[in-house]
Amino acid sequence: MNRTDVLRHIAKLRNGAPMIISPGLANYPIAEAKDEPLTIYNMDMPYTTPMALGMALGWPERKVISIEGDGSLLAGPGVLSTVARYRPKNLLMFVFDNGAYLTTGSGKAPTTTAFGTDIEQLGRAAGLQNTRTVHDLDAAKDVISAAFTQIGPWLIVAKVDKQDRPAERGPHTLPMYVYEAGLIFHRAALQEKSAKK
Amino acid sequence: MSKQQKVKTPLRNVAGTGKAGVRYRQEALESFYDGFKAAGIDFAVFLPDSMLDGVEQLIIERGDIEAYQCSREDEGIAMAMGAFLVGKRPVALMEGSGIGMSALILARGIVQKTPTMLIIGHNSTLGERYDYHGATRLVAEPVLRALDIPYHVLFDPGDIRKVIVEAQATIEGQRLPFGILVPSHVIREIGESR
Repeated sequence: MNRTDVLRHIAKLRNGAPMIISPGLANYPIAEAKDEPLTIYNMDMPYTTPMALGMALGWPERKVISIEGDGSLLAGPGVLSTVARYRPKNLLMFVFDNGAYLTTGSGKAPTTTAFGTDIEQLGRAAGLQNTRTVHDLDAAKDVISAAFTQIGPWLIVAKVDKQDRPAERGPHTLPMYVYEAGLIFHRAALQEKSAKK
Repeated sequence: MSKQQKVKTPLRNVAGTGKAGVRYRQEALESFYDGFKAAGIDFAVFLPDSMLDGVEQLIIERGDIEAYQCSREDEGIAMAMGAFLVGKRPVALMEGSGIGMSALILARGIVQKTPTMLIIGHNSTLGERYDYHGATRLVAEPVLRALDIPYHVLFDPGDIRKVIVEAQATIEGQRLPFGILVPSHVIREIGESR
């Protein structure tokens, strides 16, 4: 299963929902699909899901999405227990597990999932109930669609291949700088909340 | 706070809480709470610690500031920053050691202009009696200084409310985190012979 295909499906269902993306290649398909103001790109790991959790608790009317890699989630797995404790119904956690720190250097350094660590089972052990691991695109689309319509929190682990790493490292451009991301996001959230009052 | 997180405990004098031998200054706890309310704080996240437990328990008891407990302090700061991004006015409470774990997320908050208030137990100089707080004592203020995060070390409990209100003004005006450090004598009942 290719990560980009799954990300495109998430982007299609997103409807402008707040989203935070861990560092790496997952950022670019999301930005290419549609740049949304409620997006934080390239969050330093392991803070993608913790920051998304704060958003979900602070804005329960809105779906909130965290896009993790296996490496970034494993840098701070304790957050799964905090999510399980507070169970925000609106939090969707997607973990793209390719078994490697694919974005870095040669991309050959494995994560511990290559040796048997099971991220879904970490979530189950932490107390999460809506968890799935998917290995093909059809199954991924089904469970992602369910997550967008059913009560969360959701932890969905997509086992993906390493084919989305480009052979040559090209220029990395995203629609906004980190320096302005907080301002753009905050302003957009306040405007949306204000408009719905 | 969603329904399943509501914590219903009977109102009581929080000053009696804490580990054996620790009594909090009730007026200090009330000043923290009053300051939070005056500053518009509506989202609190904390990792339990002895110095600030009285404040944290009071927030839970009063119930009108959302309160969440994190698993690590840096996780809690990220949660607070996420809450800020969606329109909350957050505070993160922790022991000074937690700031030592949080340099990267604090730096991210500065770069990304996503601040939070920080209430920090322990400081570099005053009232640090125990050897096992040596590392805690060493780490908090140097990290704040290294990142140019503005901070204030409380001395007079009478200043608590005003410092919180003015800190929040800086947080919102400058889009910077702000640390308020809490020496033991500010928040605990202690004798002269300690």
